[in-house]
Amino acid sequence: MTVRVVLVDDHDLFRAGVRAQLGEGVEIVGEAASVADAVPLIRALDPDVVLLDVHLGDGSGDAVIVQVAPERPAVKFLALSVSDAPEDVIAVIRAGARGYVTKAISAAELTDAVRRIADGDAVFSPRLAGFVLDAFRTGEATAADPELDQLTAREREVLQLIARGYRYKEIAARLHLSPRTVESHVSAVLRKLQLSSRHELTRWAAERRLI
Amino acid sequence: MRIPAVERTGGDGAVVAGVCAGLARVLSVDATFVRLLFALLAFASGAGIVAYVGAWALLPAADAAVPVRRRRVVGTVLLVWSGIIALSGLGLSNSVVWPLLIVGAGAVLLRRESRLAGIALVVVGIVVFVSSNDGGSATSLLTPGAVAVAFVVIAGPWAYRLANERARAEERADMAARVHDSVLQTLTLIQRDPADARRLARRQERELRSWLYPSVATGTLADAVDRAAAEIEELHGVRVEVVHAGDAPLDERTQALVLAAREAMANAARHAGADEISVFVEPTAVYVRDRGRGFDLGAVGADRQGVAESIRGRMERVGGTARIVTAPGEGTDVELALARRLDGAPKAEGPASPPTEQQT
Repeated sequence: MTVRVVLVDDHDLFRAGVRAQLGEGVEIVGEAASVADAVPLIRALDPDVVLLDVHLGDGSGDAVIVQVAPERPAVKFLALSVSDAPEDVIAVIRAGARGYVTKAISAAELTDAVRRIADGDAVFSPRLAGFVLDAFRTGEATAADPELDQLTAREREVLQLIARGYRYKEIAARLHLSPRTVESHVSAVLRKLQLSSRHELTRWAAERRLI
Repeated sequence: MRIPAVERTGGDGAVVAGVCAGLARVLSVDATFVRLLFALLAFASGAGIVAYVGAWALLPAADAAVPVRRRRVVGTVLLVWSGIIALSGLGLSNSVVWPLLIVGAGAVLLRRESRLAGIALVVVGIVVFVSSNDGGSATSLLTPGAVAVAFVVIAGPWAYRLANERARAEERADMAARVHDSVLQTLTLIQRDPADARRLARRQERELRSWLYPSVATGTLADAVDRAAAEIEELHGVRVEVVHAGDAPLDERTQALVLAAREAMANAARHAGADEISVFVEPTAVYVRDRGRGFDLGAVGADRQGVAESIRGRMERVGGTARIVTAPGEGTDVELALARRLDGAPKAEGPASPPTEQQT
């Protein structure tokens, strides 16, 4: 089955590069360069996956998710960025993106990430894993739901290996788990990241704000 | 120039109508101080009270719409009135108060679009001031002083705007120079020698990043590892991706950690044949991983300086450990860890792994 992808990025050159390089089984059905163009386009095309730049000319990527997601809950978003600024990344993930990768990612890895997102998995780049570990590092569970506010030892282990540059398959081999289990740990972390109300997340991102 | 919006605070911040608390918040001073000022002014023939009522009429309540026009006009008139009362109360004669009022009105008009009317009012104010104070011995000082005040009132905003524009233009020139020195030069170099494009582009990326987002923390573990990674990239033309989760100050122990990590990166760049090295930094550990050839640990002579001395020896001397996991074709993973301190920083331990490993 071919994964239908809409590509939202305000740089023509970057869009052209992705279009030329995305591999087998992934088809770009539409492109947009701004929030204003992207929202109606995604509504009309109803793609499987949206590749979404964190920074767009007329706003940020999370604005697209917020406007589209209520009507098109099946559309999955994968955030792309060169900025690596923690507050941007955390914002787009908390808006509902299923993963985050940097634009330096190789074409093969991007293709793989799009397929995994389409299957309902979560995709964490090493950098995002580092952010999450850092944000969840300190402090006790503070909010009403402690289960959402802390990572389990296993989740921490998986994230640490992702941050160290391991792929899911390698992590599974190293931890003697099935790839499916590794995947479910990552999805659990994503859920905590999106739903946790712990204020450390926001404060942490703000403190690391790059000016 | 934008004046921050003043709002009356409602609810618990307010004592009467929230005027003082609202002003205090915008001026970022204590509300008691503002209240005291109004109270003192109230003694000056009641100016404080009039001013308070004027401000109440003029200022919007928090989260409410701007008051209607008539209310704003009334508020302004009351404020001006309180000003006159206060100045008279301070013992200034009418010959000072009225010119001040006219000049003030002129200054307000100047900031709006009716510039000519503004200038005219300022000039009239000065003339009234000079003529009504004429006859005293101070005239010879008064006239030039008044003209100077008029000049500042009229030319001040204009000079301010001009300085602002110049600052912006300088910023633009600085940006252009930077782009020329770095980006354009790099593009030129790439056209001349495309084989070098990757290394040049990577270096350019680093330079631009450090200029656009100057790192706040310097002299820390993460910062030192970043710099070591940049050096390795520069020397060997391999991409080194550094990911952080937490940081630590540089001391003897973390310094050793940085140097050992640098050696591990250098080994990976020289021998692994991979085009990317992943580095992960935690407060008490650094991990260096590549997906290159790997090697047979047992076959490396114990005398090999790199692994034995620069990595293991260094870590052991500061009470840390170096664990190297590798096998031919498996890539290499170097785990450098300091003994955990007693501050309870959590650190996940990687369990044993399938390929050969050797622990020190």
